[in-house]
Amino acid sequence: MDAFLELSAELTGFSADELRSTGLVEQYRALADGAPENEIIQLWYTGVWRGVIPSERAYAEGLAWKAVGVAAPGTRAPGFGSWEQRPRSSAR
Amino acid sequence: MRAVVVGAGFAGSLVAKVLGDNGFRVLVLEAGAEPNDDAVHRFRRALVKSPLAPYRTTAAAPSSRYVINTGPYAYSSPYLRMNGGTGTAWTGITPRMRPDDFRTADLGRGRNWPVGYADLEPFYRAAEWEIGIAADADEQRQHLPVADGYRYPMHALPRTYLDHAIASVVDGAWIDGRELLVVGTPQARNGIPVQGYRPDGHRCTGYASCVPICPENAKYTPHRTQKQWSDNVELRTRCVVNRVHADEFGRITKVSYQRYEDDTSGRHSRHEEEADVVVLAAHAIENAKLLLMSGLANSSDQVGRNLMDHPALLTWALMPHAVGPFRGPGSTTGIEAFRSGPERRVRAPFRIEIGNWGWGWSAGSPDSDTAEFVAAGLRGKALREAVADRVGRQFALQIEVEQEADPANRVTLAGDLDALGNPRPSIHYGLSDYVKDGLLAAKRVSERIFELLGADDYTSYKPDDERYFEHDGEPMRWWGAGHGGGTHVMGTSPRDSVVDQWQRCWDHPNLYAVGCGSMPSLGTSNPSLTMAALALRTAGHLVSRRVELGQAAHLAHDR
Repeated sequence: MDAFLELSAELTGFSADELRSTGLVEQYRALADGAPENEIIQLWYTGVWRGVIPSERAYAEGLAWKAVGVAAPGTRAPGFGSWEQRPRSSAR
Repeated sequence: MRAVVVGAGFAGSLVAKVLGDNGFRVLVLEAGAEPNDDAVHRFRRALVKSPLAPYRTTAAAPSSRYVINTGPYAYSSPYLRMNGGTGTAWTGITPRMRPDDFRTADLGRGRNWPVGYADLEPFYRAAEWEIGIAADADEQRQHLPVADGYRYPMHALPRTYLDHAIASVVDGAWIDGRELLVVGTPQARNGIPVQGYRPDGHRCTGYASCVPICPENAKYTPHRTQKQWSDNVELRTRCVVNRVHADEFGRITKVSYQRYEDDTSGRHSRHEEEADVVVLAAHAIENAKLLLMSGLANSSDQVGRNLMDHPALLTWALMPHAVGPFRGPGSTTGIEAFRSGPERRVRAPFRIEIGNWGWGWSAGSPDSDTAEFVAAGLRGKALREAVADRVGRQFALQIEVEQEADPANRVTLAGDLDALGNPRPSIHYGLSDYVKDGLLAAKRVSERIFELLGADDYTSYKPDDERYFEHDGEPMRWWGAGHGGGTHVMGTSPRDSVVDQWQRCWDHPNLYAVGCGSMPSLGTSNPSLTMAALALRTAGHLVSRRVELGQAAHLAHDR
């Protein structure tokens, strides 16, 4: 496992597999390798890099949404009436 | 019969449809361009997901950003100049006004309507079927008169998990002598149709981005109505009407407009269009601007005055347990108990919307929570759990407070010109003590509701926040709801109002100004449904006047 991915997993609390599944490791490594910790976390959690959202995927795969267990608004449709159900707990 | 409709938004699209269906030749002149087809993508890439962020803007027909503010507050309600208008970005919440809302001068502050709830009720029903509203008539009857036997075209949308959690605690509780009841809010988004109704578009699947964009097209926008226009209706976009012309008798003869080709410059050509009847449907602020630029309809000196909105109070808290915010529509229920009553004499009434998108609007969640925890040193699993816990329990109350018609809140023409050489709208906007007392009362009620729920109140207003103020020593703040109205106010006399009950300008027999600008009060309801009901009522009136308007046009030619 490479150093950027390892550091990202340690900082975010998401496993390397979870981070890989976002499809963003390469893009984020190019942007943020060697950046301060808080910037790396912000990028992973919110998809924002220095005031810009670098791609739609960065927004859609924001880890803050995943931590809560919901889709980023405007990216995925959980289905008619799904909002009535008890939220699933996702923190582990 | 040649009708020119200025503006292809909510009201204009409805009026054009009815006129076209009834043999009028209709030309719709829309200042904005066609919608951009990458709006969903722009939304996802926008750092601040504000109502106008996904949509095309043009230099020639700028949206609300070109307004100049001169009053104590910046007027904070955006509007969109694009085909479909602000009805493209709207939230799609469609409560009716209450019967007492039409008598605000008698019961509270502001102005009375020249018509009442009973006059408008059939048109509410027509508008609800035209737009496609999901609601339950029996549930609405708990706080409003709804005609016997009436069915909304779609069943009420399912409530959110949050709604159930709140209702299970507050239903039947009392605050300030009012019994609380969580009531479903009528929605202009597709649910399960009743027999005899065929929805246009897909069923709501819970993208949770209704404002500003529904990727599913489950939310009504004026484009749906435009698809139903007959061949009698012609739409020309990128056409900015900058003058309406009247003859010496006050009869409207034609409009002038500027047609631009590109999005980035003010380059344009000039055109004129003759008309037997002109309907202004360009938004409350733009209608007023156009009347002022034309020097028309203003014998009462009320054009541009009485600008009102819903100053909204946001309060936010954490439920004791996870509620799963950011799933489904922005708000599916509300608490209606504070919309009327004797307190209306001394402070503004309000409607409490249960906000389902966490602290997104009020505090910028979840980015703000993440930043807070990171700054506090949280990393790894602790950070992940903190975000999950904090955001998963979030909810907000979005409380819309009535603002009375006040002639001092007004639109005038600025000295500054836009790219086409037309004056920019200048707005003087403030809040009266009546409104501030209403906001403060709403804050107190919110505190009581949070107590009942055992919720942790995180609401805080700081002096460096936008629209911060202090009232009775309390820190307060308000937000813009996007519900501008009053600027060509409707009344019973040409001496003190701009349009009559049919939205016809008193000073000009064939000039109509339609939209929220005609409303003498907004009550505590999101106004688009009432605007639609008024538009359909005016369209029916125009159809009934067709022969008369045609004869008048002939006489005018003969003179």
